[in-house]
Amino acid sequence: MAGIDSAGIDGMVSTGGVLGAAARAQYAAMAQLRWSMFSHSLRSSKGALELGARTMANLLYAAMGVAIGLGAGAGSYLIASKNAWEYLPIVFWSMCFLWQMVPIMLASFQEQFDLGILLRFPVLFGSYFLLYVVSGLVDISTILGGLCSIGILVGVTLARPDLFGWTLLGLAVFAAFNILLVRAIFAWIDRWLAQRRTREILGAIFMLMILSLQLLNPALHQRRHDRRNGQPAQRQSVEQQTDELRARYGPWLQTANQVQSWLPPGLAARALRQAAAGEQSGYGAVPALGSLIVLGLYALAAGGALAARLKSEYRGENLGQAPSRKKVGKRESGWLPNAAGPIAAVIEKELRSLLRSMPVLYALGMPVVMVFFFSAVFHNRTSSGLHPQMQIALPIGVAYALLGFTQLFYNNLGAEGAGIQLYFLSPTPIRSVMLAKNLFHSALFLFDAVVAGVIIGFRIGAPTTQLIAATAAWLLFALPSNLAVGNVFSVTMPYRVNPGRMSRQRGSQANALLSLLVQLGILGTGVAVFLLCTLAQALWLAVPIFMALAAGAAFAWLRVLGNIDAMANQRRDSLMATLMKMG
Amino acid sequence: METAAIQTHGLTRRFGALTAVEDVTLSVAPGQFFGFLGPNGAGKSTTIKMLTGLLEPSAGTIEILGSPFGASALELKRQIGVVPEGMALLGRLTAPEYLRFVGRMYGLDGATTNRRTAELLDFMQLANESRKLVVDFSHGMQKKLAMAAAVIHGPKVLFLDEPFEGVDAIAAGMLKAMLTGMINRGATIFLTTHVLEIVERLCSHVAIISKGRLVANGSLQELRAGVASTLPGTEQEQRLTLEEIFLSIVGADGGQEPAQELTWLA
Repeated sequence: MAGIDSAGIDGMVSTGGVLGAAARAQYAAMAQLRWSMFSHSLRSSKGALELGARTMANLLYAAMGVAIGLGAGAGSYLIASKNAWEYLPIVFWSMCFLWQMVPIMLASFQEQFDLGILLRFPVLFGSYFLLYVVSGLVDISTILGGLCSIGILVGVTLARPDLFGWTLLGLAVFAAFNILLVRAIFAWIDRWLAQRRTREILGAIFMLMILSLQLLNPALHQRRHDRRNGQPAQRQSVEQQTDELRARYGPWLQTANQVQSWLPPGLAARALRQAAAGEQSGYGAVPALGSLIVLGLYALAAGGALAARLKSEYRGENLGQAPSRKKVGKRESGWLPNAAGPIAAVIEKELRSLLRSMPVLYALGMPVVMVFFFSAVFHNRTSSGLHPQMQIALPIGVAYALLGFTQLFYNNLGAEGAGIQLYFLSPTPIRSVMLAKNLFHSALFLFDAVVAGVIIGFRIGAPTTQLIAATAAWLLFALPSNLAVGNVFSVTMPYRVNPGRMSRQRGSQANALLSLLVQLGILGTGVAVFLLCTLAQALWLAVPIFMALAAGAAFAWLRVLGNIDAMANQRRDSLMATLMKMG
Repeated sequence: METAAIQTHGLTRRFGALTAVEDVTLSVAPGQFFGFLGPNGAGKSTTIKMLTGLLEPSAGTIEILGSPFGASALELKRQIGVVPEGMALLGRLTAPEYLRFVGRMYGLDGATTNRRTAELLDFMQLANESRKLVVDFSHGMQKKLAMAAAVIHGPKVLFLDEPFEGVDAIAAGMLKAMLTGMINRGATIFLTTHVLEIVERLCSHVAIISKGRLVANGSLQELRAGVASTLPGTEQEQRLTLEEIFLSIVGADGGQEPAQELTWLA
């Protein structure tokens, strides 16, 4: 029978599993490819700039990782030396949160190589899986998590040298779980977001979540308000309040503690606690080993979820061609006004694209959700209004909301792909396109800023009129500044973005780093003015200062818009090549 | 004298040390269906990019409908339609949304845009896919959509870069009918394709570019006569296909060094 046999083909390396000669040759080819891509990127000045920015960003992440690792180490040392093992889950949960959340936060800014290109070659599934996992080892999150693990290992070992082996083993299994889980999450998120219906469902859930949080605010606020306005005689002592809380929430907390102890971070912490108890009492390592085995099962489950997703891709499923909604016949989407003119057209197109892009919606909405959580820090409002020390909450919250717009402001052509050609082919000046994008993004940001302001108002207290005026004036300065620089960056250092994906994006460290520096400058200016005016007890002075700065920023924005056609036309070759390039 | 629809003189484009297009001078009369042929990497797409304002020439001049690109670029862009190499589609829109977007970018009013969008979707047999995102379209459907977008504003000059690539025979026949109709109504079409049968059937004039230089230019009869004159026997002229003319002009190796035979292939 004539079969398919590669053994007899001249020059073909014989196969032999994921570590066989053929697979090793493919790994070497991948490494060579990555190296060639890297060295070719240095041929241009843009590539050299990118390398410099990436080096700086990595140094920044490394410093952050060392700081977090030191914190985790110090915490673990204290816990181990004081035998307070019940607090160890907090360290592991924090680490798990960091490991899983950082990649999502950085997904838009990090260059990620799409391993899907390998599927056209005769790559074994095991090799594909292995490469997918191994490529995750150089993620920022893994590096941060690794430093955190080293911190814990050092901290526990310094306090309890006898636990070195158990700590090392526990951390290794926990790290394996985190690496597999984060890769699985990314792989599945991309899959879900590739389907329109899932996108819509996730979008609805996301919006409901934000709405629920906002509705929760007034309820909590009212409850606190009632309690604080009670008569002194009716006020309870701290002990009484603690007892009341314990009685009310104690059973819940115990249940929550039991549940978390069976989840991976809780299991890792429990294994160490059991090992410590075992070493002291000498009753053996069986319970600790049991916990680690359960943790290992979680890691296997995460690996299985990842394998299931990658297997689908391996069999030929293309994310870009994921099943779409079946034909439902002609239905005009007439909920948007059909305004004439290119500016209205671009705004409508931006809105439609935004509503179909969960990752972008997430990036815009997440800062607002975080404002809700962080506002708990400024929680102790006085009955006479906002405490002077909390004045800063409103501008901080509004400024934080601005963070989600970094990519939209500073790479506003990134999602156009091949559509960028249309802007150069059509008789509409690029100026009009940029103006429409700027107007749309500004409206979105103002909406976010107002929501953040309202959340802060409910959560902490109504700010003074002066503070609102000063914050609004700062916004009038910050917004055109960001737009002006953002337009320049969008044309001079764009990068292609797939708005339907969270991972496997190209990213640009140069753009990310420089935009971060610009934002820091704008924020720094705001902080300096706020600080000086507060110290001089003349917050009202911030308004004219910011208005003067705003006039300058608006002038710069208009100048940039006026010159944007010339800039874009000068760079149209590289702009189109960058935004349209394949692979 | 009638103004040429497309006129270039000494058109040149260099990328560093590489000269992709060199000293191309050609003229396309109004109402002409013009085929622009060449082997891979000969400079066809680069030329079309320069003609449509997507790429700045290193040297030479371009006039479209008698006007040079530059000060009148925006007005010129209203008169031309393009299916570029990358198709210029926006993947996150549906086909009707994309066509409405393009119509408005070309300055059409809402009513006209909506009417033409519906007509074009029906004509291109894409009306049943109106809820599907462009990114989920097959390659052929994307080509049809790109073609619809190129003509929605009723251009006088149409530039098509490989418009039939990946399009099925039924759709190709439909597109050819549409293009012939446009020519009959006075439009000018500048077409690059590797499908020589299509050029032979549709185009009245052909230019061939090889290694960045224009090596032939004229009506099909003129090219046929030119090639036949180099061949023994006058009856050859009657039988020459465009493929034979093309291969005769650029060489069977496409202007490259003859390749070594791949003896290891089965």
